[in-house]
Amino acid sequence: MKLFLSVFVSVVLGTTFAFIFWVVVSHEYQWEAIAPYWKNFVSGWGMTLAISAGALVLSIVAGVVLTMGQLSPHRIPRWLSRAFVELIRGTPLLTQILIGYYLIADSIGWDSRFGVGLVILSCFSGAYLTEIFRGGVESIPRSQWISARAIGFTEAQTYRFVIIPQAIRRVLPASAGQFANLIKDSSLLFVISVHEFTMQAREANANTYATFEAYLPLVLGYFLLTFPISLWSRHLEKRFAYEH
Amino acid sequence: MSIETVQLTRVYGSTRAVDGVDLSLSDELRVLALIGPSGGGKSTFLRLIGGLEPPTSGSVRIDGEELPVSEEGLLAFRKKNGFLFQSFNLFPHMDARENIVLPLVEVHSWERAEATRRAEEVAERFGLVEHLGKLPHQLSGGQQQRIALARAMAHEPELLLLDEPTSALDPEMKAEVLDLIGDLCQEGQRIVLSTHEMGFAREASDHIGFLSDGRLIESGPASSLFDAPETEQVRGFLNKVMKW
Repeated sequence: MKLFLSVFVSVVLGTTFAFIFWVVVSHEYQWEAIAPYWKNFVSGWGMTLAISAGALVLSIVAGVVLTMGQLSPHRIPRWLSRAFVELIRGTPLLTQILIGYYLIADSIGWDSRFGVGLVILSCFSGAYLTEIFRGGVESIPRSQWISARAIGFTEAQTYRFVIIPQAIRRVLPASAGQFANLIKDSSLLFVISVHEFTMQAREANANTYATFEAYLPLVLGYFLLTFPISLWSRHLEKRFAYEH
Repeated sequence: MSIETVQLTRVYGSTRAVDGVDLSLSDELRVLALIGPSGGGKSTFLRLIGGLEPPTSGSVRIDGEELPVSEEGLLAFRKKNGFLFQSFNLFPHMDARENIVLPLVEVHSWERAEATRRAEEVAERFGLVEHLGKLPHQLSGGQQQRIALARAMAHEPELLLLDEPTSALDPEMKAEVLDLIGDLCQEGQRIVLSTHEMGFAREASDHIGFLSDGRLIESGPASSLFDAPETEQVRGFLNKVMKW
């Protein structure tokens, strides 16, 4: 039965991959149509890399702060952080970007599309990370808390030496998935004219009508950004592993 | 040591886990064993004596000093004690050595080198030297419990609190842990323990308290409580558990 399943899965996935590959490759492309735009693609990819890297770091900061709010013994920070996370997770990123840039940033006179985009993306991704981090902390058995308490650790020491090191291992896979989402979500920043990767493809398409030729580079470009994160997360999982 | 509790009570929701316990034990006491049915309040009583949580009402005096009520006061009190629980509460992400060293360094402010020497010394005494580099999951239940005991003893606690230290172990491992605790009793270590090992309680302790439904039903020197229990309830319990 096990062997049958392995064979079955291999055959299904193998043929699917082969079919998709054949369809994509056998299409007749007019690469010369978008060739003049290659510099735009490179700069767009660089912009996506820069904004994603910045937002990745900032979203971890946001996630940690919001998680601390949610785990707080006081009601007000807990409630505020909960409300923020629910609001961000429950509304479209597109509208958040529009409101953030045209209403909020404008009202305080901040006019950096890159900066505003970075902050909004970080808040958005940070809200998702909060749920992941909170789940990680809450999954640590109560016995670990009691044990740390009995030893004489303060709450801060308990988090630092006992809870966080164990929680990191548990939140890594889900966090890596969220980081990949973050990179792809950055494409929505076109609505405030951040000249990132997807925006360059849209422009190339608008000028040439070579739709596939304009958008296909995105496949390779985004994969080049998300795959290393996947590898890095595997590597960290091994480093933090303490069972098996 | 002297232990004195006055109307000691701990309520969880609608459960009175410890219900108005009055106990007064004079200076000659070295080892106090708590026996009685599961859920009778032994563990909660132990936690109150050990300062793991504050009582709902009533008070505890140890050596004439009243246990503090504030979290800071309790933290300082806990640092002087050692605690061992029923299930292995080692930190799973650190090897056995670090489990012993970390509290010495972080809670008791020892130099790391000094703490490492001490960990090796205690491990030597408990016959655990070859296991110091292993992670908890690589150790048997009995070895884990002995490492946990080494951790609880490393800073030479004024009082060692053991909460059913052998309940989760198979008979052979039970014996190796009980041997160790027996040795500590012999050496004059002050111990309060809860246990289902009647033979051990009788052999090792000076005084026995029988707790049921959160109340102290009977308390007295080990020999008299076991040989001539005063209450029907204790007699019935002993008959049942000693039958086989």
